[in-house]
Amino acid sequence: MQMSAAKAVATVGDNLKDPAYLKIRDMIYQVSGIYQPEEKLYLLASRCTRRMSAVKVNTPAEYLEHLTVRGNRENELRLLLNEITIGETYMFRSPPQLEALRNVILPQIRAAKSALGFKRLHLWSAGCSTGEEPYTLAMFLLEEGQKLLAGWTFDILATDLNDNSLTAARAGIYGDYALRSTSELLRRKYFKPCDEKRLQATEQLKSVIRFERVNLNDDSKMTFLKGLDLIFCCNVLIYFDLASKRKVMQHFYSNLLPGGYLFLGHAESLYQVDDRFHLVHFPGTIGYWKPPVGYAGGIKR
Amino acid sequence: MRTLEEVRSRIKALEAMPTVPAIVQPLISTLKTAPEEVNVEKVVELVSYDSTIAAQCLRMANSPLFGRQNTETVRSAILALGLKRIEAILLGCCLNTMVPSGQWALEAVTFWRHSLGCALVSCKLAKLIGYPDPEKAYLAGLLHDLGILVNTLVCSEEYRRYIQIARDKHVALEQSEAEHLGFTHCQSGKLLAEHWKFSADLVAVIEFHHTPAAAPVALPLVSLVHLSDLLCRLRDLGHGYYEAMGVDLAGDTAWAVLVEHYPALARMDLARLTMDIDGAMEEITATVDAVFKTGSSATA
Repeated sequence: MQMSAAKAVATVGDNLKDPAYLKIRDMIYQVSGIYQPEEKLYLLASRCTRRMSAVKVNTPAEYLEHLTVRGNRENELRLLLNEITIGETYMFRSPPQLEALRNVILPQIRAAKSALGFKRLHLWSAGCSTGEEPYTLAMFLLEEGQKLLAGWTFDILATDLNDNSLTAARAGIYGDYALRSTSELLRRKYFKPCDEKRLQATEQLKSVIRFERVNLNDDSKMTFLKGLDLIFCCNVLIYFDLASKRKVMQHFYSNLLPGGYLFLGHAESLYQVDDRFHLVHFPGTIGYWKPPVGYAGGIKR
Repeated sequence: MRTLEEVRSRIKALEAMPTVPAIVQPLISTLKTAPEEVNVEKVVELVSYDSTIAAQCLRMANSPLFGRQNTETVRSAILALGLKRIEAILLGCCLNTMVPSGQWALEAVTFWRHSLGCALVSCKLAKLIGYPDPEKAYLAGLLHDLGILVNTLVCSEEYRRYIQIARDKHVALEQSEAEHLGFTHCQSGKLLAEHWKFSADLVAVIEFHHTPAAAPVALPLVSLVHLSDLLCRLRDLGHGYYEAMGVDLAGDTAWAVLVEHYPALARMDLARLTMDIDGAMEEITATVDAVFKTGSSATA
């Protein structure tokens, strides 16, 4: 029997102070790099509650055992991470990231590349899932193309390991949830009706994105990708072990041009995973930066 | 455009303003005293002279931000939160009553969200890196933008326009001040801080929090507040508008200064601290709304 929402919240609230939740939080952070501040522990608790009823345990301490000492702990951790990141993909999910692109990053990259005579941007959505992120970037850049990037061209590489996700991404058919933050104007400009409830990306929108199957653990493929300005890799590395994470980060670092940026999911951190990228704060978001040769530090406006 | 000389003469006249609470000066002198030498009864007595400030102080002490102390008297608030923290809270409340409610150039709640945010981040950062006096860091964070209050009192209307220019251009407040006002809140804040005989390290924080390398004293404290101020402005606890900037905090000269004094900073998890600030934001906002929104109308 399913608990009612109100009941579930009450249960979570009752034992939020259970130290097991802090232990689960710290363990998730250590293993995946996803962090939940103490004030948001209730979110973690509610995600745990769902998994706790699935594995039929009553207390966070018992659930912690499932995550740490039971035989299927790796699988359980993956299922919990799925719960934590669920619902994170919809278009225009991170306005601060787009504002940082518009106000700081693109003007910076434009200046640096123009000086060398380049007028093309290369973006990569690594682990694009069903395509919400690359379509967001495509709409954003097509719109900015008329202002900030006049005279520039760009391409977006969107990759995933999962063939089903890629098929869905290529089809570009989305319902209300995926489009919840997409303005009416952009919906009309870049989508056409598909059926009663869903819209489909126009050919124009699709044409700026190249979808491909890429395994981030595949060294030969990763070495081949070069000259990128921006990499977006949201909630993908959380499933990798530390050694693989480090390897992927090394690849990302060489995939990027000097001055390029890597963006991760909003609760993800690279602490103790990589020390070559510089953590750069923008209003409301953080990015990882590959500084140009001769960089000496400071505030970039 | 005004000159700093004009500001200086206006500051001398400030004391005569009816809105400057009489307890400001004695509070500032007790803040300079080592906690073990302060007479708690004396502080309690001071506060009892101003019921508005006492009430604001208790609301602050009882807010979720400080763990809901449920204290009913200033004396029990001091026991729960410590004398230094209560003195800082009291001083904040005093400063708040100095600006008549219609005269704020930056909205009162915006100013206090930023100041309180910076106080909490400075204190947290101080503890994380092993800075020996986290309460001093708290106070310095709370007061670093004192000059914004001075500019507000000295030239409210003009100042409001220049803040609007900063808002429209997405630039830092001090940049607009320097261009249009002819001086920044760092310079005007320093004048009031000196006039009130703040300790030398607090004066340095107020004057140099945007240019920490130039601070003649208290370099670590100034650097710490400089970084906390930036962090707050980058996490929606800033001056209430979008500042177009990307900041490599670990590449900042202030960071290098702090690492030299407190090597633990080099190993600090900055991404985690950032997310902790985000986590605390709701409570900071709620606290400021509870204390200062009602507080400013009560004193109007």
